[in-house]
Formats: sequence, C-alpha cells, structure tokens
Amino acid sequence: MISRIALVAAVAGATPLLAQDDLITRTRVGPADAPNVMTFRLTAYDLYAQDPDMRATFGELFLKMLERFPDWQIETQLQTDDIGQEQARMLEQARAGRGPDCAMIDSSSLGAYKAADVLSPMNAHWSAEEIDDLFPFVREAVTDADGNLLAWWWFTDLRVLYRDTRVVEDAPATWAQALAAAAKSVEDGYEGLLFSGGRWEGTTLDWLGNFWAAGGRLVDDDGRPVFGEGANRAAFLDALGYYRELVESGASPARVASITNYDDFNAAAAAGTTAMFVGGSWQYGQLEGTLSPEDFTEWEVSELPGPTADQRAAGAGGWTIGAMSDDPDKVALCAAIAKHVYSGAGNAVQGLLPTSAAQYEQYDVFSTPVNLAYSEFLQNGRPRPGVPIYPEISNQIQILIGEVIAGEDPDAALDRAQAAALDAWGRL
Amino acid sequence: MGQALNRGAHPLAWLAPVILVLGAIYLWPLLDAIRLAFTDATLLNGVRSYTLSSVTSTLGDPALPQILRATAIFTGASVILLQSLGLAIALLVTRGDRRGLPGMAALRTLVLAAWIVPGVANGLIWQIMFSEAPFGGLNSVIGMIGLGPVAWLSDPQMAMVSAVVANIWQGTAFSMILYYAALRGLDPSLDEAARVDGATSLDRFIFITMPQLKGAMLAGTILVTIQTLNTFDSIIALTGGGPGRATEVLALFTYNTVFRSFDLAGGAVLALLLVAISLALAAVYALLLRQRT
Repeated sequence: MISRIALVAAVAGATPLLAQDDLITRTRVGPADAPNVMTFRLTAYDLYAQDPDMRATFGELFLKMLERFPDWQIETQLQTDDIGQEQARMLEQARAGRGPDCAMIDSSSLGAYKAADVLSPMNAHWSAEEIDDLFPFVREAVTDADGNLLAWWWFTDLRVLYRDTRVVEDAPATWAQALAAAAKSVEDGYEGLLFSGGRWEGTTLDWLGNFWAAGGRLVDDDGRPVFGEGANRAAFLDALGYYRELVESGASPARVASITNYDDFNAAAAAGTTAMFVGGSWQYGQLEGTLSPEDFTEWEVSELPGPTADQRAAGAGGWTIGAMSDDPDKVALCAAIAKHVYSGAGNAVQGLLPTSAAQYEQYDVFSTPVNLAYSEFLQNGRPRPGVPIYPEISNQIQILIGEVIAGEDPDAALDRAQAAALDAWGRL
Repeated sequence: MGQALNRGAHPLAWLAPVILVLGAIYLWPLLDAIRLAFTDATLLNGVRSYTLSSVTSTLGDPALPQILRATAIFTGASVILLQSLGLAIALLVTRGDRRGLPGMAALRTLVLAAWIVPGVANGLIWQIMFSEAPFGGLNSVIGMIGLGPVAWLSDPQMAMVSAVVANIWQGTAFSMILYYAALRGLDPSLDEAARVDGATSLDRFIFITMPQLKGAMLAGTILVTIQTLNTFDSIIALTGGGPGRATEVLALFTYNTVFRSFDLAGGAVLALLLVAISLALAAVYALLLRQRT
C-alpha cells in the first residue's frame, strides 16, 4: 500500500529539483541534446498544471521514467480545453502522417482513432494479467478484435448523484424517488435537482446512464445508430421523460437547459441553493476544497437513480494514451509514459480513479470510503460506444434534450435526432 | 522619369509576388473548399470519390432552415444595433472632442477594451453575467429593483437576445472607430453653413452628416455583416448553440458539421454557403447605397 505523500517524497528524492529547470521546459522533457526525439501531445492538468506542486510532481515522474530511456527527449505539445476540436484535428493530422508520436486521447474519441487505424499496438509492454485486471468496459474499449492493446486507459470517472443529507437524508435509488426528493427540497427553498441540459458533452454523458439503465443501446454491433428504434426508442423516451418531468414538475429549475459546465454545481452547493446534483466523481475532492468542513461532511454521493432500484448505470469517461508512431522505440517510450507516469502513480497524485481493481489496493488514496464506493459503482459503469459516429450522436442528444426541456414533443425530437445520426453515419 | 514610366507599363511583373502570396494564402484554400464540397470527404476517410451528393444532402438538411433563421436573426439584429450604437457613440465622442470635454479618450479606450477581448472570453464573461442561478449576476441586480428573474440562456428566444447582446458589447467598438474616423474627416463648413441657415441639429444630422457618411456606412455594414456571419466563438462559449438549436448560427453549424460529424465535404459546402451569403449581402448593400446617391 503506497500513500500519496510517500509517493511524492519517493519521486522527489530520486530526482534533484535543481535538475528539473534544465530538463523540463514548456516544450520539452529530457536533455536538449538527446539524439532521439518523441512527440507527446498532452492535456494541461499535470506536467503543465497551474498548481506548482502538481507540475513538480509530474515533472519528477517524467524524469524518473526517462532514466530508462537515456538517449531520448520528449517534445511536448499542449492540447487546449476544446476537446472535441482538438481530438478531431489530431486525428486528421495522424491520418495525414503528421500527428504526434504519442498522445492523450479522450475516451469518447478512442473509437474514431481505432476506426481510422492510426494506433500502434502496445501489447508487448503490458502483461496479460495487467490487461485482464482492467475493468471490463475499459478492456473492451482499448483492445481490438484481434486482442491488440491499442491504448492505455489510465483513469476513469463516473457520474454520480450528490446530495446534502441535511435536506435529502436517504439516497434516491429510483427516478420516482429522485423526483420526490427534489420536489421536497424545492418546498424547503432549494432549487431542486440540478443536472446538465445545455449544449455540451456533459449533458449527454450524464444522461446516458438513465438511458442505459432503462435498457437502451445507442448503436448496434455494426456501429449503426439505433437509439430511436424499437426497444431502444422506448428506453430513450422513458429516460427522456424522467428529465422532462423533473423540469415540468418544478423539481428541477428550467435553468438546467443552460448548464454547460460542472462548476455551476459546485457553486450552487457552496451557495447552499441546491441539495442535489448529477455530477462527476472527481467533484467530491472539489467540494471538499470548496465547502467548509462542517458542510462538506453533510454531502454524500450515491449511484445515479434508475427506473427501478435494480436497473442502474452511469456514464464513465476518462483519458487514454495511445501511440501513433510505427517506430517500436517510440511506442515503447509512449507505453512507458502511460505505465510509469500516469497509470497508478499519476492516478494517486491527482486522485483520479484507476481503471484496474488492483490499483485500488495498491494506493491507499483509493481506499477511502468514497473511492471504494466508486469502485463498486464502476461495476455499473458504461463507457460511450467506441464508434466514430458517437460525437454526432452526442450532438443530437444535446439538441434533443434542450428542445424537450423547452417543451417540444419528445417523439418528434427523437425522430429528428435518429434521422440526423443515421444520415451522418451513412456519410462516414 | 522614362525608366519609371517603363516600369509602370508592366504592372504584372511587379504584382506577381503579391498575387502569388495572396493566392497561396487566400485563393488556394477557397479553391480547395470548392473541390472538397464536390467530394465525399470526411475527417476519417479523406476523399474517396467526387460527387454532388454532399451538396444536395447538406443543402437539404432539415435542420438548415432553422439554422439560417437563427443566423438571419443574429446577424440582422447585431448589424443594426452595432451600426446604430457605433454611430451614436462616435457622434458623442466627436461632439465631446469638439467641445474639449474631458474623458473622451477614456471613453474611446473603454469601448475599445471590449473589442480586444477574445470571442471565447467574451462568451464566458457574459455566461457569468447571464447565469440564472439564484446568485447569478444580472438577475441579482434586476432582482434588487423587484424585476426578474429572466431566463437569459435557458429560454430559446431570450438565449438569442443574450447572444446578440454579447456580440454587440464586443463589436460596437469597431463600428464606433469607423464612424469616428469618418466624422473627423468631415468638412465642418457645410455644417456651419446649415447652422447659419437655421437648420436644427436633427436636420443637420440627417441632411448634412448622414449623406457624407455613406461611404463609411457601406464599408462598416459590409465588414460588420461578414464579421457577424462568421461569429461562432463567443456563441460556443456562451450557449454552445443551445438550448436545442436556438442559437446555432451557420458558422457554428459548419464547425459542428466538421468537428462533430467529421463531415469535411458538408462543412465545405456550408463554408461556401457562408461565402455566398456574405457576397450577396455585400452586393445588396452596395446597390442600395448607390441607388440613394
């Protein structure tokens, strides 16, 4: 069992801080005169995080890992927060042979990368046991039909229900219970149940748990959108009806149609205006930093409610690391970044949920009651389908949810969304 | 002298480098967009064949009429208000300058400050202002005088109003500068003569000042229209195009077509549609202002 403090201390002891100044710049990790260069496109939350401690810790993790590759330097390229555009542009570059050698790929975009055949297998760098230990939905997403490991999904997250236990004592297990609890909180002067309903990916991913719990599927085995057809249609309308009823009954405010980020929920919790919201697992730590200790102890997380207490699901996201170079040395370095910087150690430092059961026992930071609860919830975790059409399906669902919350007919809105997704699928 | 004339007789040779550079920067992407529009290109597959189907399916998209309606409302309201407010502020500043009032430079700077804010930041600033949370910016203010709350971003109609307000806040400075420059260049003797003849302020503005501003008005209207038609960064940050498609304008729809649907050919068709609308509106403005000469 390794604690977060012990990990940081161990890493810091291995690499003199003074050395970092020369070995880590805004565009490079490693010695400037190293003869071999690998490009790595990453997000801005670790090596280049705003938090200097986080930045230093990841810098040390990178340098420690690079000791295995003495003749190499890593040319770093930062992604912006505009994930959809960044991922689409990077895919286009990779197809044209101008992409980075190694990159962080959002789990929702992984399907498009797999379909475009731009990822190099990394099988040699993980044991069969390590791959088997991945959560099933993660393993399925990162491997292809031949069993090749095409990326390493280094952290995951899931959607959960947050509640202030002073207002909502018991965790609602069903949609009906959630509706009743939200309505009761409105009577008590709160806003009711908050959720994302605006035009952004969070709206889709947060809502999909309801659709999946009702038994729906977004695409069939060929990747064809089927969410508006047959039994999926009924599940879709059921899950949509839940959101619609929340707003129409006043159990949720109409302003949910304008919520396009998770910070709104933290702000509402801090202001004491809401007693429940659908958020991401990572927000627990944010709430701890935002609320007073007395208030924070009153907030709890639970699984998203389902149509019945036995039908539960939650959207799971997270980031993967994949190699887009054919050079085996670069693939090895890319795999080492995933394995020795981010997976495990990186999870522990950032408190991001690991993707394999063993890591929950390896790091004590994940043995807290809430993280152990998350690992249980993850049994009902569901990733977005790894198909290239997913971004467009998500786009259509965002449009549809906004329209239905505003009072449009759900059947007609679903017809339009299904037709649009099918058209787009036909073009791909 | 003779040598200079000789050089002037062969302008093409002198212009060739500029034509080549501008052609490479501007013309080539346009030609490539035209080429892509007649293909089945996607971000995943590139060009597989040449076809008319991308044009027909994109222009026949059932969502397009709603997108064009939102674009017309956003652009029409923005252009009218941007031009009106820009002219009003320019008149105010010019008059203040003439009378030597203090603070005119500060006023100009204040208006310009909004202009240099990036579109995404502008959207985020207004998203905070328009927040409908109980502690939201504008709603808290109007709540103090017993009004509201207003569904700034969650109501489809109000969301469009909010998007226009955010655009005006940022873009008014551009119109103001254009009109300010034009007003500073006017010959004051005409205004003086009209004043001596007993013309009122309104008469002088309508019959003396406005006709002289026609050139600036044409240039400003064309530029502001094209600028507004291409606006999507502030909207994507403010509403993302929602709720539903309430604020999804053509530029944002084009962006979504390429980066959500991965439909490169469809995006090229929409980009060309945007160019065609811009050119058509520019021609209409030019025609209207010429007819009134």
